[in-house]
Amino acid sequence: MAYTTFNRQINDQMKEPMFFGNPVNVSRYDQQKYGIFEKLIEKQLSFFWRPEEVDVSKDRIDYQNLPDHEKHIFISNLKYQTLLDSVQGRSPNVAFLPIVSLPELETWIETWAFSETIHSRSYTHIVRNISAEPHKVFDDIMLNEKILERADDVTRYYDDLIDGINLYQRCGEGTHTINGETHSISLYELKRRLYLCVMSVNVLEAIRFYVSFACSFAFAERELMEGNAKIIRLIARDEALHLTGTQHMLNIMAAGDDDADMAKIAKECEEEAYAIFRKAAEQEKDWAQYLFKDGSMIGLNKDILCQYVEYITNSRMQAIGMKAIFSTTQNPIPWINTWLVSDNVQVAPQEAEISSYLVGQIDNEVDGGDFGDFDL
Amino acid sequence: MPGVKLSNGVVINFDGSAQTLLEALERKKLEVNFHCREGYCGACRCKLISGEVNYINEPLAFVRKGEFLPCCSVPVTDIEIEIP
Ligand code: FES
Ligand SMILES: [Fe+2]
Ligand SMILES: [Fe+2]
Repeated sequence: MAYTTFNRQINDQMKEPMFFGNPVNVSRYDQQKYGIFEKLIEKQLSFFWRPEEVDVSKDRIDYQNLPDHEKHIFISNLKYQTLLDSVQGRSPNVAFLPIVSLPELETWIETWAFSETIHSRSYTHIVRNISAEPHKVFDDIMLNEKILERADDVTRYYDDLIDGINLYQRCGEGTHTINGETHSISLYELKRRLYLCVMSVNVLEAIRFYVSFACSFAFAERELMEGNAKIIRLIARDEALHLTGTQHMLNIMAAGDDDADMAKIAKECEEEAYAIFRKAAEQEKDWAQYLFKDGSMIGLNKDILCQYVEYITNSRMQAIGMKAIFSTTQNPIPWINTWLVSDNVQVAPQEAEISSYLVGQIDNEVDGGDFGDFDL
Repeated sequence: MPGVKLSNGVVINFDGSAQTLLEALERKKLEVNFHCREGYCGACRCKLISGEVNYINEPLAFVRKGEFLPCCSVPVTDIEIEIP
């Protein structure tokens, strides 16, 4: 039950469940219980990109010319995405690696989380370019109430799971007194926390990012902030893979062949699962309201965005066998789909110039006069 | 030439001029959701009521029984489908 980095128990990995079996010993991929995770790894590796490959220098001029309410929309979304990827860059590792039992799934989790760190680094690339004071943007994330409100729901299920695993791996099942406080944990309760956690991660990646994606692409439809949109497309392409990963996990869990307890738990947690989706959709609609508090942007307003949240929530729920909860059946912004097509994403070196991370570095082709009174 | 029957009665012939079922549906101005068009996101999921499809590339997205992904498949028999 205690975690070990190289389990000496000789086991048949093909008979282990996804989670809470033996810890993985040999990282071998010659045999796989669930080949899908290996395929996701390969796909994710083929998607590899670096933020520096995307030239965002024109965005600086675009950003300076945006009216204040559009600056607010743009920068608030970046802050929110920064929060989400901060969480996603570490939490799958911390929460799932101590309990995973299949090598292909273990490696998928690591590959998945690694790609999130690229997303995080890309936000610094974007912010450094548009702002002479990037620290102000990042500092505000820890102070911004609207963002912190969301952070709570995004992290809660991870934290509950991690807390339970710590207790279980140290003390085992039962009631324990630690520093004068009593805590109890059972394996079944841990599995319940795992199921809800995977569900909430699915919601995070399949719904929470999309309001922000829609705004980025709405700017780019007007040929504004196109460097940013290029990066967001690469992020969206990765996220599509991640949400497919959690959908597979959820579906395997609910089927019960992997671990009969999980199928039971999936049924018991049905109401809670609906509540997680519903709450996330409401929060994202609130977020749309906050984004457009000082005015809409061309092609998008609060109502359209809220309809899109409903539409995408329905479709994500149906993907894991749940029923739609909103009456919206039409995509109110069908143009977003073309931005999400994968074969249009190009980061070939000849196509996008390598730009520097140095603060203040600007592309040669940009006329310095365009910057106006922007101080470097 | 397999026929594609929609739940609303419309019938399309899959005559090989479209690479995938998604393309064939789009040519008829039918709105099907999509994102990746490559089988890994699952956004295009539709119901397969009867018949059989072949995947051009094995999709990574989860496909439950009675569903299929039009972005990366072609019909091998007459099929009846429902677009959500
Ligand atoms: S559009 Fe992504 S799976 Fe079909
Ligand atoms: Fe991410
Ligand atoms: Fe992700």
